[in-house]
Amino acid sequence: MAAYTDMEHIRFVLHEMLQASTLCEFERYKDYDKEAFDILIDSTKDYADKFMYPLLKEMDEQPAHYKDGKIIVHPAVGKFMKYCGENGSIGSTFDYEHGGMQLPHTVYSAVSHIVQAANNALPGYTGLTQGAADLLVTYASPELIEKYVPKMMKGEWGGTMCLTEPQAGSSLSDITTTAYPQEDGSYKIKGQKIFISGGDHEYADNIVHLLIGRIEGAPAGTKGISLFVVPKKRINEDGSLESNDVITAGDFQKMGQRGYCTTHLVFGENDDCRAWLVGAENRGLKNMFQMMNGARIDVGLTAASVASAAYHASLQYAKERPQGRRIQAGGVKNTNQEQTTIINHPDVRRMLHLQEAVTEACISLLLTASNYQDRAHFGPEEERQKYHELLELITPIAKTYPSEMGRVSVSNGLQVLGGYGFCQDFPLEQYYRDIRIMALYEGTTGIQSLDLLGRKVIMNNGSAMKHLTKEFISTIKEATSFDDLKPYAEQLKSASKELASTTQHLLTFAMQGDHERYIADATVYMEMMSNIVIAWQWLKMATIAKTALVSGNTIQSTSFYERKVHTMKFYFKYELPKIAACKHTLHSEDNLTIPEANQVAFS
Amino acid sequence: MKILVCVSKTPETTANINFTNNNTEFDTNGVSFIMNPYDEWYALVRALELTEANGGSVTIVNVGPSINDAVIKKGLAIGAKDAVRIDAEPTSALFVAKQIAAYAKSEAYDIIFTGKESIDYNGSLVGGMIAELLDLPYISYASSMELAGSTATLQREIEGGTEVVQLDTPFVVSAAKGMAEQRIPNMRGIMMAKKKPLNVATAEAAQSNEKVVEFKEVPKDRAIKMINPEDMAELVRLLHEEAKAI
Repeated sequence: MAAYTDMEHIRFVLHEMLQASTLCEFERYKDYDKEAFDILIDSTKDYADKFMYPLLKEMDEQPAHYKDGKIIVHPAVGKFMKYCGENGSIGSTFDYEHGGMQLPHTVYSAVSHIVQAANNALPGYTGLTQGAADLLVTYASPELIEKYVPKMMKGEWGGTMCLTEPQAGSSLSDITTTAYPQEDGSYKIKGQKIFISGGDHEYADNIVHLLIGRIEGAPAGTKGISLFVVPKKRINEDGSLESNDVITAGDFQKMGQRGYCTTHLVFGENDDCRAWLVGAENRGLKNMFQMMNGARIDVGLTAASVASAAYHASLQYAKERPQGRRIQAGGVKNTNQEQTTIINHPDVRRMLHLQEAVTEACISLLLTASNYQDRAHFGPEEERQKYHELLELITPIAKTYPSEMGRVSVSNGLQVLGGYGFCQDFPLEQYYRDIRIMALYEGTTGIQSLDLLGRKVIMNNGSAMKHLTKEFISTIKEATSFDDLKPYAEQLKSASKELASTTQHLLTFAMQGDHERYIADATVYMEMMSNIVIAWQWLKMATIAKTALVSGNTIQSTSFYERKVHTMKFYFKYELPKIAACKHTLHSEDNLTIPEANQVAFS
Repeated sequence: MKILVCVSKTPETTANINFTNNNTEFDTNGVSFIMNPYDEWYALVRALELTEANGGSVTIVNVGPSINDAVIKKGLAIGAKDAVRIDAEPTSALFVAKQIAAYAKSEAYDIIFTGKESIDYNGSLVGGMIAELLDLPYISYASSMELAGSTATLQREIEGGTEVVQLDTPFVVSAAKGMAEQRIPNMRGIMMAKKKPLNVATAEAAQSNEKVVEFKEVPKDRAIKMINPEDMAELVRLLHEEAKAI
């Protein structure tokens, strides 16, 4: 079977970078130990090898589709939901009191990476169910929790988030789905939602939609949005289910993730769709952001995982495919020699290195974000605010960099295979299609960039940025203790200063009241900051590897640690210098994209 | 029904195999270890199935240092009731068998399972040695096993067919492919594992009768020779003279 992830890298990030077993010192995680984490990730890999990876291609070839008012999905969806329900993994991070396992998010993300890398069409069904159940547990009344959450945790019922409407995608302030208060405290819902992942299928007895809408008469904009639970089927007093007037109007046939259904739902077509408020009135969007932030980390993780699978597929091909000959001294090739395998060509190695550098740093960044989540919620009280702010700041980057650079990485992987990469004989073309959605799901790259520059960078007077800069400084200091890492530590130091000066430069627009100019190139700012954050991850990995090599205290093979240092050097040579171009653009005085100043464009 | 399952720790199946100390020792640098698949997938799972159907308990035994606890805990996560680690370096099959036999002697197990072999040294020796030391019947390479009361019916795949064997407990059996289906531990099992007893027993004094003089690797870069499809005589010559396969 082809490889799709590197378990050594996962163990390295979990145990050597993030010291995951230190989480077991927290009261919440005291029932775990390192061995339990290892058994869990190894068992997940066993399951993914046996059940998930073999269905990757088949689920793509037999896409989810709409037929006779129903969504037909691959039978593996049912088996996977049942397995996750019985296994306890849907509610694995939940409190014991809600039937959860109180698994650290750090470890959950490692598990999630493995299953996403094996088959990215399946985990969304349970991931959204978990997110929806989590939202209920946090904001719903005990009665609603009791009614819905246990069956969702068992994988018997699915869950979704319903945000987008035909006229309101990125701009959620324009949603029109309306909730009409009823005498019994419930609401009647009328409206349409599109792009609803996992919105309907035959392998869940019920689907529990967490939907945002406006209570009749609510204020315009985001301040008038409330959150509701809207089941596909209502639960009667005796526990039986009846239709709740949620109609599946169709589906969307996508270029990738074709096994993961995307639906169009109509609520209240027959004036009989009932909903119940979750949390306070008009606080819906804020509450929904809990699920959306989690979903953003999940999307980043999926992107990193698809990129990982593509990297391992192209690496295997490059090791086996004979083609061409090495150029010898004098620039000649000896055609009498047998062909070399393509992994020996420098340009192929460059592409593989890029894939490795992007993929492995994405995994470390995403597990780091999950580690911040654990520490923000359950760590020592005095550290929680810091980790909360770091998580807030890192989330748009952890979603965007894997989605954007993961796609570039997969594209390079496809290129390694030459013409075969474009053909269905190899999985690269599927991975290329599958990863494209990641820059769109749960807030596009543009939206994430606005969130980063427009909110996160400046929140609490730039407090989160200060925390992140301290993290950079700490890594730089540790790296500087090794002579051969010093030049790279200096580069990160310099890049960090460039970022600070660029942020300051852009803030002058905001201080002058020109907010549109401030955020006009937020995506370029995202590109610059993401690049530096990934460089920080690489310097951190290289420093840990170097420490292991020098001390001899190695858990993995010596060559594993040497590879980490080597790949860090690749990143600093080929990728980090690209921030200079971003800086140039962000400091340029030319204002070319704001319409009023550029009437001539697209005229 | 009391069942003992003997488990070994072996390198992960894709591990790079190298030797050290003048090619007399396996180089563990950077190697991940797992429970020997024959012990885990077939012996342990069938033992659990038997106790689930007939009542009783499954105990895991391993001979090795404390680093083996990670592998043992996986067995507990899969469903064993408790575990015993006999605290000694497993220097040879006879040494391991003597340790396990000494431990099992006073416990009156109905069935002692081993895997058919470990995937590292492939000796297939421990099961037979334990049976001999405890003066119990031994069935090797069993691919299925049913139990009615205290009578077991086992199948062994043999050259050209199947041998069916019947015997009463107690006995020792080595489990081969077909005995059971791999069972992947679930989250609840993994959490429970930490709370299950993992007892450490002192090793008996025992000596190994042999020592490894050298490990030799298969040559890594055996060149591929392309032969003209029309030239069968050359193929036969190479197979005979160089590969010595015919």
